[in-house]
Amino acid sequence: MSSPLHDSLDGANGGIQSGRYYGRAIPYLPIDGYPGKLIAIEGTDGVGRSTQIELLREWLEVRGYGVIETGWTRSPLMQPTIELAKSSNTLNKLTFVLLYATDFADRLEKEIIPALKAGFVVLSDRYIFTALARAGVRGVDRQWLRSLYGFAIAPHLVFYLKVDVETLIGRVLEARGMDFWESGMDLKHGDDIYDSFRAYQNKLLREYSSMADEFHFRNIDARRSVDTIQMELRRQVAAFLESADEPRPE
Amino acid sequence: MTFSLLHATDFADRLLYKIIPPLKAGMIVLADRYAYTAFSRDTTRGVDRQWVRELYSFAVRPDLALYFRTPIEVSVDRLMARRVKLKFYEAGLDMGWSSNPVESFRLFQGKVLSEYDRIVEEFGLQVIDAAGSITEQQRMVRQLVAPHLATSPVEMSDEQPVA
Repeated sequence: MSSPLHDSLDGANGGIQSGRYYGRAIPYLPIDGYPGKLIAIEGTDGVGRSTQIELLREWLEVRGYGVIETGWTRSPLMQPTIELAKSSNTLNKLTFVLLYATDFADRLEKEIIPALKAGFVVLSDRYIFTALARAGVRGVDRQWLRSLYGFAIAPHLVFYLKVDVETLIGRVLEARGMDFWESGMDLKHGDDIYDSFRAYQNKLLREYSSMADEFHFRNIDARRSVDTIQMELRRQVAAFLESADEPRPE
Repeated sequence: MTFSLLHATDFADRLLYKIIPPLKAGMIVLADRYAYTAFSRDTTRGVDRQWVRELYSFAVRPDLALYFRTPIEVSVDRLMARRVKLKFYEAGLDMGWSSNPVESFRLFQGKVLSEYDRIVEEFGLQVIDAAGSITEQQRMVRQLVAPHLATSPVEMSDEQPVA
């Protein structure tokens, strides 16, 4: 992953300034100089992302920021198709990746870019790193994935809510139980959903970790209490937004 | 972007279910349009040229690719003669270049055609003059296809014992 070839690669990689496209793809939508800020909250299933985002949103709004949220597979164009495809057995890893990418492209053009243009803070519940991790675990070519997601915008901040598998298992079982896709049952590690979940999530966590340095993840220890995590997020977001505000007179 | 990615998803699905299995079985697959259509159409819509090519790098490279080339006027005349209603996206009406479907078709497909010319060079497509008669074109097609069939391994694999 850290081969010298990587730096010269077109596509999603860490050498790109935040707020710009990683690579090629949408020459018809220039985004330079848009005032909005893109903040991605990453982390595997059950790690507490949505709770944190909800709290963060409220806090930002109280402080006078315009905030919109966007989340993985939530585009009106693609959500029904993705649900349908997941419920049948016709999906393979390539079509899976492309459906996700289409969903992301739709949200990027219709939600994220307009919001950045209008000066909103965009809170993204998961970002392309989830797609890169899931597809990477499934053996899809990493270089091709990065080129595919070259049309994504490098976020201003990426928070990675980090947990260990043990903590995760406890939380998921407590909350709602393990589901087919979250357990990576499509990878056919075996019939036992517990073993499969454990093996799959372990691989995912490793995949996320391997991207941490490259994409400037800010690691947040997600084993702690909701409040503690939220305090740390607020502190870092506040520091960033204040420094971003400085050069411009209010 | 979403237009481009949806087509790629559809293509990936057909590739894995309809194209690769028969190829493995030694059959001939005739594809009515292929990734090259996406290269020209998506690029005309403003998607990055190189990005689309990389997107489709999972596609199988055809043994033979034929391009039926026709001047834009011939294409417009043929469609008008059949009095077909031009499709919204085919006429590129989503681009907002003209509200007149025929004019928009001419503008949009004109750009698509010049994009094809670039692709012919880049990927070595065999060009067939589609302004000619059907018989002439078919003769040309057969001539181009024949050498590929002569070296087809199908007959040899028939000799292998059934497992």
